Amino acid sequence: MPKMITEQNLRILIDTLVKEGARVVGPKQAGAMTLYEPLTTGDDLVLDQLPRRSVKETFFPVCETILSFEKKEGKTTVQDVDVCAIPETVLIGARPCDAAAPGILDAVFSWDYKDEFFLERRRKTTIIGLACTKADDACFCTAVGLSPAEMKGSDLFLTPLEGGGYACEAPTEKGERLMACHSQLFGDASNAKPLPLAEPVVEKLDLKKIKAWLDGNFESPLWNGIADRCAGCGACAFLCPVCHCFDINDEGTADKGERRKHWDACGFGKFTNHASGHNPRDIQNKRYRNRIMHKFTYYDDKFGQTLCTGCGRCIRNCPVGIDIYAVIEEIHQKGTGD
Amino acid sequence: MNSTAQKLETATPIDTSCYADVTEAIGKEAVRILSDGTVTAVVGYKAGRRAGTAMPAIVTDPAKATELIFSPACVNNLALYLTKAKKDVVKKGRVAIVAKGCDMRALAGLMGESQIKREDVFIIGVVCAGVKGSGAGNGEPLTTGNIARKCRECTVHTPEGAGLIAGTLPSPPQLTPVEAEEMARLGAMTPAERWAFWKEHFSRCVRCMACRQVCPFCYCEQCLCDKNRPQAVESTPRPAGNMAWHIVRAMHLAGRCAGCAECERVCPMDIPLNLLNRKMAMEMKELYAFEAGLAPQEKGPLTEYKDNDDQSFIK
Repeated sequence: MPKMITEQNLRILIDTLVKEGARVVGPKQAGAMTLYEPLTTGDDLVLDQLPRRSVKETFFPVCETILSFEKKEGKTTVQDVDVCAIPETVLIGARPCDAAAPGILDAVFSWDYKDEFFLERRRKTTIIGLACTKADDACFCTAVGLSPAEMKGSDLFLTPLEGGGYACEAPTEKGERLMACHSQLFGDASNAKPLPLAEPVVEKLDLKKIKAWLDGNFESPLWNGIADRCAGCGACAFLCPVCHCFDINDEGTADKGERRKHWDACGFGKFTNHASGHNPRDIQNKRYRNRIMHKFTYYDDKFGQTLCTGCGRCIRNCPVGIDIYAVIEEIHQKGTGD
Repeated sequence: MNSTAQKLETATPIDTSCYADVTEAIGKEAVRILSDGTVTAVVGYKAGRRAGTAMPAIVTDPAKATELIFSPACVNNLALYLTKAKKDVVKKGRVAIVAKGCDMRALAGLMGESQIKREDVFIIGVVCAGVKGSGAGNGEPLTTGNIARKCRECTVHTPEGAGLIAGTLPSPPQLTPVEAEEMARLGAMTPAERWAFWKEHFSRCVRCMACRQVCPFCYCEQCLCDKNRPQAVESTPRPAGNMAWHIVRAMHLAGRCAGCAECERVCPMDIPLNLLNRKMAMEMKELYAFEAGLAPQEKGPLTEYKDNDDQSFIK
């Protein structure tokens, strides 16, 4: 029997989970925008806009301490961070472009090195996804293989219903468990009609064609001038749900400090600056080429996936109007023409 | 991306008839100066893929010069592209730049700091009725509700000192000075309340450095905040480093910031950085009767030493 949850019961679910001691994270108002933040009550949840920053920070925080050190009487002691202290978390209200992201990142964070900070959060987090009933002119999830109804990555998936409430599907055991534990909040959805979902605003692209063109065109003239106007900030990478580069810095005093892992971005001029002073990506065009290559071919080579979910945050927030969809659409055309 | 612009009054459309004339004039002039070799490149604006958007564009081919536009979406201060931070973009020759009145102040400041020479730049000044603020929809027309905060107090709708002024301006409406009111609100706070205000805002900073990267005056080749041997400012996005970074930024721009408010516009975390810039500008005016960017001037109050400078603050 298909299940549904009313708007009110969804809020009660959050209250209940918080009371049970879980960390509940969801879109919460922060000034004029929303951000994925811990919710203290069901009323905190704001679902009418895509949060400015993506869902990745739930698993891969902006900055986290990975160890601490202290020097006393000539002896240095190092203290690891106990990942077991990471709390059980329910992430609620992730749109398909966000819900799909952590699963894409699993590959790189469990590749040659197992990043326990990321992986422990993944193990302990249940993702409640939410279908999209509206899209704006920057949305392009349908171009990169997702859709407003895509359940990939969600443990429980909500589809808004006519007259309020949400149809619930549980594609994973985690989601089933969550529903079973709070079964009193879920009702029968057999007569419910889903709201019409967002219409795609752009053409679907053949990612294989894009990859094939990229593979053969590292030196294409397309890259000369591709990002002349790029200011070299990290806004695109930092808002992206799947950009995952980080830097590690030791900070503190000579006697005491912490080793911190924090977001980094390939658009920064110093990202590939070698100790020798040589910088293989010495100009912004080469850095932007790397951004495209990493997303649409390198990550695919390594992990068989595309490193973009089409959320459109980089398009909406680029200070100089760089539009990744326009770039891959052009590459797609070139790939089709070849 | 600052969306704190409040929709205080009933939004009424602003007369934007001048933008089409300006666009035509830019196109004509760009074709002429690129064709006759006056300049090798024109830095201007082009329309983006999404309807109603615009983006900076560097045009070198006269055949493409008519793609240049001017519209209420032309928010960027293009002076950025003439600084050494963007030296790989326009490598040689004289460059033309499309400049709004507010952008002219940055150009004057950069000339004063010997970053650009007046004779190397061909300025296409454009009259401007205002640009859209953050939070305005791409499809929306420019209104008294969605105009950028800086434009609400604009005194330079028609630029001065440009090689060419394109367009004629309809009389702009009187608008509530939202930012000045916010300045006054902050000014009336206790230091503890102000500290709390900024702490809350800076706590969201992710150190994407967009504020630095779009600033025409942040052209240092080695930013203090990127140094790690030794580290001067914590580079991690945490309270201590965020606070330090934003204070360093404000102090380094005191007496230099030309008020384009690009730092605030591009902040993905909606930190109202121009309030800091304006506070610095106010101090400069009160202490030294100095305003940055009014005219190219080699030495500013904070970059000049005089034997008779007041030294009483050294204790």
